[in-house]
Amino acid sequence: MTPADVTDSAGTTPDSTLEPAPPPPEKEPAGSSIAFTATLILLVGLALFGRRIFNGVFTDDGIRTWATMFVGVTVQAMPFLVLGVLLSAALTAFVPASFFAKALPKHPALAVPVASASGVVLPGCECASVPVSAALMNRGVTPAAAIAFLLSAPAINPVVLASTAVAFPGQPKVVVARAVTSLGVSMILGWLWLLTGKGGSWLKMPQNRHADGTGKWDVFRSSMLHDFLHAGGFLVVGAAAAATLNVVVPRSWLDHVAGNLLLSVLLLGLLAVLLAICSEADAFVAASLTQFSLTARLAFMVVGPIVDVKLIALQAGTFGPRFAVRFAPATFVVAVLASLLVGWWLL
Amino acid sequence: MRRNVAGLVIVFVGAAVVQLATSGTYLRYVKPGMRWMLLAAGLILIVLAVADVLADTRRKPASSDDGHGHHGLPRAAWLLLIPIFALLVVDPPALGADAAQRQSPVAAKPADPKSNSWLANNSQGAAPVELAVRDYAVWAVWEKESMKGRAFQLTGFVTPAKNGTWYVTRIGLTCCVADGTAFMVEARGQTAPPKNQWVTVTGQWAEPTKRTDGDVAALTVETVKPVTAPANPYE
Repeated sequence: MTPADVTDSAGTTPDSTLEPAPPPPEKEPAGSSIAFTATLILLVGLALFGRRIFNGVFTDDGIRTWATMFVGVTVQAMPFLVLGVLLSAALTAFVPASFFAKALPKHPALAVPVASASGVVLPGCECASVPVSAALMNRGVTPAAAIAFLLSAPAINPVVLASTAVAFPGQPKVVVARAVTSLGVSMILGWLWLLTGKGGSWLKMPQNRHADGTGKWDVFRSSMLHDFLHAGGFLVVGAAAAATLNVVVPRSWLDHVAGNLLLSVLLLGLLAVLLAICSEADAFVAASLTQFSLTARLAFMVVGPIVDVKLIALQAGTFGPRFAVRFAPATFVVAVLASLLVGWWLL
Repeated sequence: MRRNVAGLVIVFVGAAVVQLATSGTYLRYVKPGMRWMLLAAGLILIVLAVADVLADTRRKPASSDDGHGHHGLPRAAWLLLIPIFALLVVDPPALGADAAQRQSPVAAKPADPKSNSWLANNSQGAAPVELAVRDYAVWAVWEKESMKGRAFQLTGFVTPAKNGTWYVTRIGLTCCVADGTAFMVEARGQTAPPKNQWVTVTGQWAEPTKRTDGDVAALTVETVKPVTAPANPYE
């Protein structure tokens, strides 16, 4: 098997995994053995001879910049993804479902704001919150509340708010506006989910794996393993998309529309989707976009943690593509409108 | 014992992350502060894979399939091998001139003027002041009055542009390379060294170049000395 074959076959896998609720393919011992040996030989071979074999192939500057971006986004997200799957596995294995029933208000419409506010406790970027909210749904939390948590956690946690304060020194109103808008957007989308009512058919409910009959540590180990492998694969897709857009889209197109408020809010929102910058760092990028109004930069910081190409890939992998294609545009529209409103009010 | 492909892939991912963190290669991709997080994440992954393999060996082969179907990899997980492939084969370098050329050399207005009290101790005509490129690129445009008539020393890589113009460049990072912002200072009066060559230049503050999208910091260069790239290429 040549490395080119592997990349090709890997490139076609997203389609096959997008089928509803694919069970992990069960391999025969023999097949598994072949896959194991081939993977081992491939990886060790690449480690030893990779650079010699491909010497002179990947020399184009653009390709190398792309590879740096791609590896950079993946590496940066890796610790947060590990934190996310660790927490989600712990929730699945050690926290009884009855805990959430007690902790959250019975009525879903009331559970949404509580879940939004509890986003404060997860100090990570957006990659961590996807597996955690999947685990919440898995533990019987109403999807609307889990969605509210998914959207608020990466935006209003202390690390993100602190970095926003550092990036905009002497302008605490920016921090307040960011927290208020993100919190509002997460609640609105949670309630929207309740109102539309048919969410269930779009959402691929994360499967309640290994429910009974095994030890807690077994459940912990296998759900962490499964979540990491699954989310990790989709993270790679998202990182590739973000790297491509980073390299292909020239940043100079920003300068032509800075003047128009409505257009600039839309544009910076779109930029946040394309660049997929970690929510702990996006405030610094927003601070450097000085040709734009504060409202437009607020939109950048509100949209970034809740919709971007990396997240769309992760959500498609976790909750199913039918969910992702509806959820991402809805989130984008609500986030942009809320930014306009809060920007007009506070900034 | 069954062959555990999932464990194998995770061990490789974990090992790659640990290797990045311990070798210092991670500085090409993320900010220095992420070292311990990467190390922890890599070690957790390795422990997870080892625990899974051990649990596999303990399980009796006959009863091995009570719904624990994670030996076969979820198909999406094969994609995790792509970044490993990129690391092993392409060995992506730190962002350089190519990335800088995709951005505008114009320095954005600082949100908050930095303290430049050091200038008070440095009379005009004294030895060149060593400055970060990102500071010079901003101050030379937005703090003209205090910069005028002084000599500076900058270290960065060479980004060539049209008509023989070239810039001393550093990329600023706040989290990872996705948010990398180029800080560029136009070097006047010397011919351009090769693209991506690291140089230390000294020279006098010069009037910024006007562009349609703003002003670009400039330096009238007196000496150009090729240097090796610093361990952390970013600022």
